[in-house]
Amino acid sequence: MSDFLDEVEACVPALRRYARALTRNADLADDLVQDCLERAISRRRLFRPTGPVRAWLFTILLNLHRNGLRARHRHGEMLSLDAIAEPATAASQPGHIALAELARAIETLPLEQKEALLLIALEGLSYGEAAAIIGVPLGTLMSRLGRARAALRLLTGTPAEPHLRTVK
Amino acid sequence: MSAPSRDTLMAFADGQLDATAREQVEAFLGANPEAAAEVASWTRQADAIRTLFEPAGAEPVPARLHPRRMALAMTTRRNRLWRQALAATVLIGMGLGAGWLARSWVDAPAPSTILIADAVRAHDVFVAENRHAVEVAASEEDHLTSWLSNRLETPLVAPDLAGEGFTLVGGRLLPGAVAAGGRAAQLMYENGARDRVTIYVTAALPDREPAYQFTTLGDAEAFYWANARITCTVVGTLPGPQMQTVSQAVYRQLTGTGEKTSTRYPS
Repeated sequence: MSDFLDEVEACVPALRRYARALTRNADLADDLVQDCLERAISRRRLFRPTGPVRAWLFTILLNLHRNGLRARHRHGEMLSLDAIAEPATAASQPGHIALAELARAIETLPLEQKEALLLIALEGLSYGEAAAIIGVPLGTLMSRLGRARAALRLLTGTPAEPHLRTVK
Repeated sequence: MSAPSRDTLMAFADGQLDATAREQVEAFLGANPEAAAEVASWTRQADAIRTLFEPAGAEPVPARLHPRRMALAMTTRRNRLWRQALAATVLIGMGLGAGWLARSWVDAPAPSTILIADAVRAHDVFVAENRHAVEVAASEEDHLTSWLSNRLETPLVAPDLAGEGFTLVGGRLLPGAVAAGGRAAQLMYENGARDRVTIYVTAALPDREPAYQFTTLGDAEAFYWANARITCTVVGTLPGPQMQTVSQAVYRQLTGTGEKTSTRYPS
């Protein structure tokens, strides 16, 4: 049981990071993580020790986030100021993505694309693990990932820019 | 080699290919600058995403997100809830127990109510009988009264209601309320119009307190009284004034206080 708590503790930084990226709000993100940990700890007897604790925690966190969004939609969504997209300004340097611009672009992605992209690009999970956490087949995960990346390229104004690269 | 799928290219960018596949994709990208640029843009995206959000994972974890502390707090909270639930259960149990013990004070009808109901039921049952209306007929009145007196363990005489136009038909022994000795005597009278009146007598109730009560149950009227020696219920379906006259006569004769009857009889 203490091993379980140790494993959970090791996942907390990643959960906070992922929650922050999903919500773009530090307090909201930590609330989400707290709910997730409480649920996991109170249900640890239901946890099948065959799978990694990390995937289980991410699954709980995602479900809580989705349910929270649904509830907020019903009560009228609250947007933090920095979540409101500003007109995209051109990247200062070609090939360099302006971070604020990217953050706003991620914000505009559908949740299903955002949660997939962040699990892969930010958390570095394997495709199989991410698909299991999100609860979709591998092919669905890949197509969400592809659409998310294409959308980000479009939104951040970085075209394929083949002409800027010199072919070796 | 054939062009790798987009998924394979993504897997390359995400570092999810094994060594062999990786080398193949590298070879393909070397010859396809457009695909290479796309893969490079994905890598830059991922780098930027990590730059954006990785610091959040490096921040010191607030106390409220320490699993060990949370588990402890939750156990404490659960134990407190258990204790409260236990306390509530004990209280409810005590309440139920007290209620069970007190049920006789709360639920039980007054003894007089039971006696009157018994008297009226016995009246209804036996006045409808012709050949078996009584167990011992009036022709054996002495035997009847001594028998019933023995059974009730209290002296009983059959009142003389000739003045009210009623003659004794007879009587019987009945099971009665436990509080009044468990036995009851019923005496039946009849007038020329074949109206029947019954008198239902038991030994005194434990409290031996005098009591008077007029009750109407269905068609029957019942006049109940109790004293230190007996309880008596006169039951009949006579018109009110006639019922009162009969009851008065019974009361007077059974209490043996004829001279006081007019003042003690409730009007």
